[in-house]
Amino acid sequence: MLMFVIDALLQGILIGLLFALVALGLTIIFGVMDIVNFAHGEFLMLGMYTVYWTNYFFGIDPLLALPVSAILGILLGLASYYWLIRYLLRGPAIAQLFGTFGLMLFLQYLAMFLFSADYRMIDKGVLVGKSYSIGPFIFDRTKLAAGLLSLLSFALVYYFLYKTKTGKALQATAINKEAATYMGIKTDRMNALAWALGGGTVGIAGGLLVNFYYAYPMVGILFVMIAFACVALGGFGSIKGVFFAGLLIGILVMIFPVFGQLIGSDFIGPHFKFTIVYLAYFIIVVVRPQGLFGWKN
Amino acid sequence: MEKLKDAFDFSDFSKVERVCFYVFTVFLLVFPWLGVGSFVKTVMIQFMLFSLFGMGWNTIGGYGGQVELGKAQYVGIGAYTVALMMVWWKVPFWISMPVGVLIALGYSFIIGYPLFRLKGHYFAIATICTSLVLKDIFDNWNLVGAAKGIELPIHDHPDFLYMQFKSDTYYYYFIMVLFYIAIFYMNWFRKSKLGFQLRMIKDDEDAAESLGIDIRWCKIKAYSIASAFVAVGGGFMAVYNLYIDPASVMELSLTIKIALMAMLGGAASMWGPIIGAAFLVPLDRFLGSWLGGHKGLSGIDFMIYAMLIMIVSAYQPRGIWGIIEQFRKKER
Amino acid sequence: MKSLRFILFLCVLLLSMAIITPAYAQKEIKIGVLYPLSGAMATIGRDLQRAAEFTVDIINNKTPGIDLPMAQWGGIPSLGNAKIKLIFVDHRGEPDRGADLAKRLILDDKVVGLTGAYNSAVTKTVSAVAERYGIPMINDASTSPDLTERGFKWFWRTTPHDNYFNRDLFEFLKGLTEGKVKGVKAVPRSQLQNLAYACENTEWGSGVAKSLEAYAKEYGFTIKKGILYNANSPDLTSEAKALVSVKPDAMLFASYLSDALLMIRTLKAMKANTNLLWGQDAGFEMADFAKQLGADINGVLTRTVFIDKITKVKKVAGQLNALYKKKYGDDLTGATARSVVSVQTWAYVLNKAGSTDPKAIQKACNEIHIPENELVMPWAGVKFDSKGQNILGRGLIGQYQKKPDGSISLEIVYPFELATANFIYPFPGWK
Repeated sequence: MLMFVIDALLQGILIGLLFALVALGLTIIFGVMDIVNFAHGEFLMLGMYTVYWTNYFFGIDPLLALPVSAILGILLGLASYYWLIRYLLRGPAIAQLFGTFGLMLFLQYLAMFLFSADYRMIDKGVLVGKSYSIGPFIFDRTKLAAGLLSLLSFALVYYFLYKTKTGKALQATAINKEAATYMGIKTDRMNALAWALGGGTVGIAGGLLVNFYYAYPMVGILFVMIAFACVALGGFGSIKGVFFAGLLIGILVMIFPVFGQLIGSDFIGPHFKFTIVYLAYFIIVVVRPQGLFGWKN
Repeated sequence: MEKLKDAFDFSDFSKVERVCFYVFTVFLLVFPWLGVGSFVKTVMIQFMLFSLFGMGWNTIGGYGGQVELGKAQYVGIGAYTVALMMVWWKVPFWISMPVGVLIALGYSFIIGYPLFRLKGHYFAIATICTSLVLKDIFDNWNLVGAAKGIELPIHDHPDFLYMQFKSDTYYYYFIMVLFYIAIFYMNWFRKSKLGFQLRMIKDDEDAAESLGIDIRWCKIKAYSIASAFVAVGGGFMAVYNLYIDPASVMELSLTIKIALMAMLGGAASMWGPIIGAAFLVPLDRFLGSWLGGHKGLSGIDFMIYAMLIMIVSAYQPRGIWGIIEQFRKKER
Repeated sequence: MKSLRFILFLCVLLLSMAIITPAYAQKEIKIGVLYPLSGAMATIGRDLQRAAEFTVDIINNKTPGIDLPMAQWGGIPSLGNAKIKLIFVDHRGEPDRGADLAKRLILDDKVVGLTGAYNSAVTKTVSAVAERYGIPMINDASTSPDLTERGFKWFWRTTPHDNYFNRDLFEFLKGLTEGKVKGVKAVPRSQLQNLAYACENTEWGSGVAKSLEAYAKEYGFTIKKGILYNANSPDLTSEAKALVSVKPDAMLFASYLSDALLMIRTLKAMKANTNLLWGQDAGFEMADFAKQLGADINGVLTRTVFIDKITKVKKVAGQLNALYKKKYGDDLTGATARSVVSVQTWAYVLNKAGSTDPKAIQKACNEIHIPENELVMPWAGVKFDSKGQNILGRGLIGQYQKKPDGSISLEIVYPFELATANFIYPFPGWK
């Protein structure tokens, strides 16, 4: 039994790293602009498709195709900002909510129209289908790679935000927009940067995900809900927070069914493992809205 | 008694609006006899049903100013109560429907209380979560049929006890009655104390608070009213379609449709949800029916919706009604 | 003046709507076909549409080279060679849309009958409409047993339902212990006693699960672990582990394509081991399953209804398949073959009824018998019982086997007398 728990823990951390990466973009955009991007899941979905098609048509290994999905994500983020979000900012909050909602629906249906609703998963690649055994534990190589690359991406983003001038400018805008403007930091450009960064990171996440999960037009909904839970748990706007929150949620998702097995319950089982995430979001925002590390409320 | 008259008093609308409303009412009354075919009739039924949903949503989403995206769970509660009570205990519709509404009210109070500690985006996402959780539970709960859903047994003759009819015309008038009850209720609501309080809260929350209004309680009440509306619609769906499952009455996509129609038409206005439904329901049904046969174009209608939503929210957040009002202001 | 304009607008709207109602020709028999032609199931829906069109072509025009009576008809003989016209509508998988479209077909288009709808949930609402209006509906591919338990008088189903298929599995297991399976000596019961299943948790999968439990009891097997999972889950590791942890002798699945793929991959990554691995059609039967997993599925069993191997043992199947392949480039599959059967059944029923009166058609449906040699399916025929269920239908169990040239092909292992290859036992697994 203990084996199962440890195994669940480890698997949870692995998948949690990816959840965190998915949620990273969301929290950045929120931190800087106070907008929740409902279309975030769709950016993920398009990132997945990008890597899939690159692999399919050009035979490029999915790991090497990551830069492509990153670039697509960046472009998507920028396009969304310049062609839609900027206009939404002028309106009330309800407009922003529906604007990004509309974007979400549009991208979903666009994908359905272009790619059809068939499920697609990578099947040709250096690491695909292989696994590593460490003692009694078996790990999917693609998941290991995903976890490592997530970690790397986090490190890069962290470095960017805290050690570079532009990054610090972004943070300044997040903390206090007006004050930042007085210091010569143009809000508009910072907003665009936030979207570019948000889109790029989730594009990479999508590219990683498609190695062990299938792409289809509606795949974004599930992941965006998980991302919301991570962002809420970690604290809206907090990078550190979303990282740990991702891990915790990943572990939660994996431990939950094991827990059910331990107490011999049929009701608590794998079929509720995402329900528990939704419930978690609800409980977190009601009980502790600032999450673990949040400073924005 | 003064208050009840309010429901029927439309005098604060412009003359044009009132005339349109009367003409429209006449149109609806004679519609089934115009010989336009059964499909169009079904579209009209869907239109009125979604207007009903939209008006309900409007109570909290429009007038209440808190966009909520969890309406589907109440549709489900209404639908399942009616269906289960009929299948298990042969309870007539007229008893099971109010029971469904009561359950919806109760449930909305229970989750409304913690829910309204939140605002804005947090709130919206939380409402999505509650709806998803309930759907997941129903999907796996054998007692209510789990994913298999509930089929209502077919009764032969026009059955007013269980609201089962062979011809759609009966259902048409039934939903029309509900539709008008909703309109009169909304008319009363926006002039009621709660209506004014909500407007004040929406405009300036701090001022409202300083006047002693219990903000949270007002919102919860509005939310519960919305839930009741929607549960009625759910009950209707159960006896109309004769089959319900979590996917058809509790899905997120249903909530999105409802909120979208209300928002597109113009949230926080009386006619907004109706206009939104009048626009989107036929678009959805007719376009879908026409495109379905054409291979290359499937899914385009979905994209058209979505584009509409983006455009409207970017340029006229107050929806079609907002556009109409803008025109009228220009005319003057 | 604005109100006048509004009234004018209404009149125009009314007139245009009245025009939309179509006018129709006379010597045609219209049948409404409801399939998911857009949305998530669009690919399969379009395939089904093609198969239906293909079949109606053969019936309406004398087609040489097919040894079926209906290929020589050129229309429905007893109705003056009137042609069948199929009216397709797209329900997108939504039950209420399906019901509305059914009403349109019945009331506006005045069809004499319906077929479809593939998704069980939509079939339920559509058949309810048909039942209400007294219009016959012949269902081709929905396998939920519930559909024929409703006491409907206007609903018939040609395909066997899930309970039949699950029984087939247990007959197979029993036969395995008795040495009836080709190429394998009798397997001791102890090697197959403990079973575990994982079924997706909607209507279909949960129905299969219930059925498996019941049959296991009846045939004396033990279900050590039964899981219902969410087909859209991004990760099935916990589910797979739960299965493996009880060390079952056989693993049984009811999965759609995406979760089937995920499950197999997860099990492979865990190097899972068992004696027998079986999938209840759907995901396990689809072309993509074999394509994406390749040699990894060597030894996997699947319930199926029709495989191209049938064309070798049944002449008519071969002929139809060849023609279909020539026209569309693909072989017939379990789903499309059933579409063929339903249109064919309609033709036979209409011919037998000799009239388009609903009651006459109803009588014809209750009395129809299509013999084995006139069906593309490996069934004993088409004959409906009092509940409207075809009792002569049969499922097949196929096993994916790796050929010496590396390709994967699906061989028939049940019914025993139709076996096309030696059964691979135990399940080779992944090393």
